[in-house]
Formats: sequence, structure tokens, C-alpha cells
Amino acid sequence: MPEIFINGKPYQAEPDQTVLQVALANGIYVPYFCWHPQLSVAGNCRICMVEEEGRGVDIGCNMPVKAGMRILTESDEVRAHRKAILQFITLNHPVDCGICDKAGECTLQDYHYQYNGTPSISHDRKVTSTKFYDLSDRIVLDNERCIVCSRCVRFTREVSKSNGLGIEERADGSLVRPSTDGSFRDDPYSDNVVDLCPVGALLSRSFFYKARVWYLQATPSVCPGCERGCNVDIWHRKPEWFVQSLDAAENTAIARVTPRENAAVNGPWICNKGRDLARIFERKRAGQAMLKGRPVDLPNAVAEARRLLAGAARPAAVVSAWGSNEELEAFRAALGGRVTVVTRQDHVPEPGEVVEDDLLIRADKNPNSAKLRELFGNAAATLPADADLVLVWGEGFEFARIPPGAKVVLLGSYLAPENGHADVFLPISIQTERDGHYTNFQGVVSGFAACFPKAPGVADAETLFAGLAGGGP
Amino acid sequence: MTGRKVLMNFEVTPTSHTLEAYLARGGYQTIAKVLRELKPGDVTKEIVASGIQGRGGAAFPAGRKWQVVDPNDGQPHYLIANADEGEPGTFKDRWILENSPHTLLESMLIAAYALAVRNAFVYIRGEFDQPYRRLAAAVEEAYAAGYFGQGILGSGFSCDMFIFRGAGAYVCGEASSLLSSVEGTRGYPRNRPPRLTVKGLFQRPTVVNNVETLSNLSWIMQHGAEEYRKVGTAKSPGTRLISISGHIERPGVYEVEMGYSWAKFIYGVCGGVPNGRKLKAVIPGGISSQVLTGPDAKIMTPEEVESLTLDHDALWQMGSSMGSGGMIVIAEGTCMVRLLQVMLRFYHHESCGQCTPCREGMGWAHRVIDRIVAGQGRPEDIATLRYISKFNDGTTICGLGDAAGYATVAFLDHFRDEFEYYIEHKRSKYDGRLECLPEAAHA
Repeated sequence: MPEIFINGKPYQAEPDQTVLQVALANGIYVPYFCWHPQLSVAGNCRICMVEEEGRGVDIGCNMPVKAGMRILTESDEVRAHRKAILQFITLNHPVDCGICDKAGECTLQDYHYQYNGTPSISHDRKVTSTKFYDLSDRIVLDNERCIVCSRCVRFTREVSKSNGLGIEERADGSLVRPSTDGSFRDDPYSDNVVDLCPVGALLSRSFFYKARVWYLQATPSVCPGCERGCNVDIWHRKPEWFVQSLDAAENTAIARVTPRENAAVNGPWICNKGRDLARIFERKRAGQAMLKGRPVDLPNAVAEARRLLAGAARPAAVVSAWGSNEELEAFRAALGGRVTVVTRQDHVPEPGEVVEDDLLIRADKNPNSAKLRELFGNAAATLPADADLVLVWGEGFEFARIPPGAKVVLLGSYLAPENGHADVFLPISIQTERDGHYTNFQGVVSGFAACFPKAPGVADAETLFAGLAGGGP
Repeated sequence: MTGRKVLMNFEVTPTSHTLEAYLARGGYQTIAKVLRELKPGDVTKEIVASGIQGRGGAAFPAGRKWQVVDPNDGQPHYLIANADEGEPGTFKDRWILENSPHTLLESMLIAAYALAVRNAFVYIRGEFDQPYRRLAAAVEEAYAAGYFGQGILGSGFSCDMFIFRGAGAYVCGEASSLLSSVEGTRGYPRNRPPRLTVKGLFQRPTVVNNVETLSNLSWIMQHGAEEYRKVGTAKSPGTRLISISGHIERPGVYEVEMGYSWAKFIYGVCGGVPNGRKLKAVIPGGISSQVLTGPDAKIMTPEEVESLTLDHDALWQMGSSMGSGGMIVIAEGTCMVRLLQVMLRFYHHESCGQCTPCREGMGWAHRVIDRIVAGQGRPEDIATLRYISKFNDGTTICGLGDAAGYATVAFLDHFRDEFEYYIEHKRSKYDGRLECLPEAAHA
């Protein structure tokens, strides 16, 4: 283990590390744009300059550690170079932070205030370039803001392997462009380039001009899109910035979804489906308990369901792979001994969806199939033909499979035609309205927190089960 | 005469580039002797002993580069002749490729043998048409005669030769971006470490040498390092091909022994500055080397330039370098501001755009000098050009940013009054011409 000195203090380093990695690992911040822990070293932004005593300045991201080397990260020479690099980078950057989605979380903005802080010394017109260039129907590129760090290009080459992006032209006319075969458009991980972009050059269509990031807060969550269970942050409006007069629905809307780094599950990436959680969660909600389509209040509906359940001789239950660990355990504790359990996959791959690949996406499109298997083993996949009551939990169940004459108690979150056909319909909360955990296919348990208050009239499934079992024999 | 000859030691005729003519002047005998008598290590020792310096611009000792490669390390090695001659003012490799391509091929065989290279490449500039056709014909001739392929000349040594044509990027003359280009990717230079002799083409040890450097090898192996040392000066042995252009009576490619007098070369051999005009400045080795002399220069006067000798050390002492041997002569009355504009336009156009200082800096410098030439200069523009140059020095991935900066600063140092005059009076101190016309036309 070579020992190196940074700003006079000794630090232990691994032999294959670079100076930048050692510095960052020990809490010494060295600015960087193009370097990324998951990507290859490009060394093109040149801002991670450090000074090796006796050898002058060079970039830290490509400087292998040597035993005894003496590094300065804040010498006058280093500061002068950082400042100059920022002068160069901002030379043709439009500095339109006022209308830039990235403002507030932009690396260039941060570095400018921290390491430069002076206006440009240039008197010449900026080089103009393409604005609003659609790399795909998901990603918008602003070439004027681009600092050509090549992170996005390396991402498509090294991580998503679509080779969907490249750089065209030369010098200050360099342009990031998609490949002509459309491989970037079809890249299921393309949205990660928005997070990778250290400036506001790559922007998400779905978040385009939608909110300033300082109006938003991030709530840790788990993507329910497949059994990988990628850790995500769901961004939504802070209560102090709630919209009072206009479209109040914005206050409980998902503004965007970003990956939350978890080396054991998803690393720093998520797929495009995970970015589109709003498409899953923001469907029309069912908020009214019903008996055969007749609206009733929730306690009455629960009482009716309890009565039906108590009276059933051979009750069965279809358990949801979208239930959290807590809900599944509550179900087993309350009803597990009473009913014949049937498990199933609530969601199956949609037409056109990537079924499975070797990066993140899994074929089982439900978040908690692993916990389901753990609790109920290999429960039957089909309902017993003699069941006289079926409790259906979750969406998309084919009612044709219910034995004729059996009573149906349905727990659902979204408006669906079958809600009105059930003998009892109980509206339940969705993932963004409650806390809980999912177990992914590797056995890693990830937690999610409530982002929004519960929709009016709905109940948590976790508490309902106790109520359903409460009056039973 | 310009001293002893190593490369231009034959009469150029319409057929002197063919294999037949090359064999008639003793060609391919050296490689036969090397394969018969020497071990790879002996060749490298001889090259190190000869002290030959790279002719591409940096004058790095070629032998030292070779010594890093271990021929017996079991991995493939590559040898590449850098014929991407893009430095403005330089056209010496072109002469070799057009008139004696077999000298290069035989020398590359020697180098390939010394470095255990199975596949050798010539990376030739895309714009070179005649040189390419001559080289391609020469490779075919050499294959037909059994100088390339399996078991060359009955020995156990095999080597194949590939010609790779560039696509018109100046930056691909830089060794690492040349490799990127050969690999089929964008011609971006690579960060060092690792050095190319450790991880080069396809991540294997690779030696990239200039065409002229390599072409010297057959002579060195034929006559011996000791004999080669006797040519030129002690520190810079050998000869240089100098391509001289600009305001000179007889431009062209000349072979000059190291240490030859500038005055004799410029005024004697090349006929001096035309139209009876005086010498103002000389760019000694392609536009990336620092311009020499000028009224404001503290280091020298025009007379001193003429007392100079043509070798690396003499020029390094003057704060310039022999560079690629592309000498540009500049006559009195030439507008140096406009000349710098031409140069910066070139650097802007040819910056590959990979790393920040050069990508943004070259365009910036170009816009500043354009503005000065257009008569909208500001007093602080000179400081801005110096700022751009300073922060391109040592901060870029390859040497092009540094070189552009050095060249710019040399112009500003030596001709400061011209720049200040242009900015203040919004016109050139002279008539703004780059041509060298008779006195009457200037007046």
C-alpha cells in the first residue's frame, strides 16, 4: 500500500488508484467534470488539476499514485489553473442559468462560484450552436451549454452499450450527436445521461421547464417496475412551495425520478421505465368503497367484507406482488391461516417493453415477488375450483378465472371496470402514499417513504387485513 | 552543397523511386546483412549508439523510445511510420515517400526486426496523393520481391506492411491520436500515462517514429553508428531534411548536415530573400516552433540569426527548436499580425476539441486576432492572447495546445510593437501584406 502525501498529510492508497480517487476517498475535494467513478478516464475537462511537488500541475484523474509523492490540491498554481479552465469553459457557455432546468444542481454553477467568481475576460461574441436538439423523444440537447466532457458518450459505450452517442465536428464546434441507426432512441437507459451531464446540456423532455429544482424535495423510494427494485429518489414539491391557486394537482405530482445510488442493487443507474413512475402511479385513482357498484362509506364496506369472509367455507385469496413486506406479513398474520393463497404476477411485460437485459432490467415486472415466494412458498397459481369467496388484492386479475358463484372482495387502487362488479370493493393506498420495504430478487431489502398524503377515502392494505379478519371465527 | 548526405545521396530521376533503381544503389542489402548477422538487441544498441533524434518535432532520442519495448515480452508490438505530415511549412517526408519509398520500407524492416514487430504500418496523410501511390507501389514491389511477408529472405523473421491513409486531421500527426485513428475511432489524443511504448495501438507496446527518423536507419545499419556520429554535431548527429518556403528565392527540400551555417544555407544554397528585400524573421521548424529575430527581440538581431548553426542545441539556446524542419522565411515588410492570424486560424480549425483549454482557447485566440486585424482591437487583447497561451501550456492532453501557445507568445514577444501599432492605429504598421513584392510595389 503506497503512502502518498496530500497537502502535507499522509494517506494510504491502493496501488491502482489515481490521486483524484485517493483525495476524494479521504474527503479532500478536487473538482471534476468529466471524471465519473463508473466510467473510464477521459481526462478532457482538465479541471481536476493538482500539483505534484517538483513536477508541476497535471490532472489528478489520470495520475497514478506513487509511494511518497507529494500532492498539493490548493496551491496558487492549482487555483490559477482551475480558474483559467473555468474561464475557458464559460467562454462559449450561454450562462442562461435563469431558464436552465439544471440550475441549482449544476456542477459548473457550483464551481464557478467556488473557484472562479469573476466575469469572463472575453470581449468576443460567444459561439452559437444548436438549441433544443432532440436526441430522442426523451432527451433534449442544448449544444451551447454542452462542455463536451463526453460522459454521455462514454455511458452509451461502456454502460448501456448502445453506442448511441458520439461527437461530431472539431474544436469549439464539437457537437454531441446520436448515431444514425437510432440506437440511442432505443436505449432503455438513455435518461441516465441527464443525471450524468454536469451542466444543463442534456435535459429530460418529461421534466423540461417543469420546476426549479429548489422547489422540489427528494423522497427515497424503490422503483416497482421490475424485481430489481432499483433505489430511486422521487422528486415532488416542497410543502412551502405548494401551488395555492392554479393547478393544485401539481402539489401531489411526481416531478421526476432520479436514481439513488445503491451499489448492491442498481449502482448509480436506473432504466427509463423507472423515470416514468408517474405513468404507473398517476392513473385515475379509485377513492370510493363500493358494494356491487353502489357507493358506501369505507367502514361499512369493510364490515360487509368481514361478514362475507366469516361466512365463507372455502375462502381463497389472490395476493399481490406489489404489496410491501409489511403488508404481505400483515396479510399472512391476519388471514394466512384462513384462506387458500394464490400468488401471481400483477404486471407482465407490455408490448415493446425490454423484457430482460444484463444490466438492470428483469423479466418479472413486479417489485416484491421475492418476498411473496419467501412467505408463501410456491403457492398455487390457479384458484381452487370450489372456492366460495375470493379476495383479490392487486390489479389486472382476470375475473373470468373466478369460480362461478364465488363472492369477490376486491382491493384496488385505480379505477377499473371490474371494481363495480365486485361484491365488495375496497380502495387502498399506493406506494407513494405509505412507507414500506420491498425485497428484490437478490434478497436485498430497500425501503421507501411516503411522498404524498393518502388520497381521500382510501385505506392502507396493511391495516385493512386486520379489520377483515377481526370479526371472523 | 550542404554537407554530407544520408538520404539525398542519389540522383532523382523519373524512375529513381522504383525497386529496380533502389536495388541498383545497394538497396535491401542492409536488411539482408542485419537478418544474417545481428540479433534484435544489437540493432537497438546500434541505434542508441548513433544518438539519432526524432525528426518529427520533439527531437526525442529514437533509441531511448525503442529501449522501453522489450522484444521478448511475448506480446505483439507495433511499429508505425508517422507520415501524417501536417505541420504547415513542412514537406520533407513527402520527398522521401515520393523519391525513395524503399529507403523507408527497408528501414522499417530493420526497426521491425529490432522490436519484434509482426505488423508495421505507415500512417500517411490523406491529402498525399502522389506519395501514397508511390508508397503503395513500392510496398507491392517489395512484397513481390519477398521483402515482406512470411520468412523474409529465408530467415525466420516475418513482417507485414500496411498503409493507412489519414482523413485530413492535423491532430492525427500526434502519435496517440494517430493510433486512435488507426483503431478506427475519432482521432483524439490519449492521456499519458500510459506511454505508447507501454500501451499503444490496441493496448500493445507501439513505437511511432517519423518517416525521416526511420529512413535514416538503413544508412546507420549500413555504415555503423560510429560513422553516423561523424555526421553532424556531437549532440545532434546526422542530417536534417529542411523544407524551406516563404520569402525565399529557391524553396524546396534540402538535406542539411546538422551544424551547417544558416547564413550559407539561406543566402547561399537557397538564394536568399527575393526582390532584394531583407530578412525579417525565420520560423525554423514549422509554425509550432517559435519565430526567431525581430526588432523587439532581446535575444538576437538579424545578424545573429545569420551566424546561427542549424542544429537542435543552437536553436534551443535561442528559445526555439528545429521542430519538423519546415523553415519559413519572412521578408522585411511582412505584417506579423496578419501572419499570426493565419496561424491561429489554422490552430482553431485543427483543434480536435477534446480537452477544454485548446477547444475553447484556440477559437478564442482566433476571434481576438480576427478582431485586431479588423481594426477593433483593444489594448488588453495582447494580454488576453498571452493568457490563452499560458493556460494552454502543459494543461492539454497533447502537445498541440502548448505548441500553439509557444508560437503565439514568440510572435507577441518579438513583434510587440507591430501588435500595439495595429491595435492603436487600427491598421498594419506595414501594408498588411503577406507577399514579398519588389520595393516599388510595397511603396
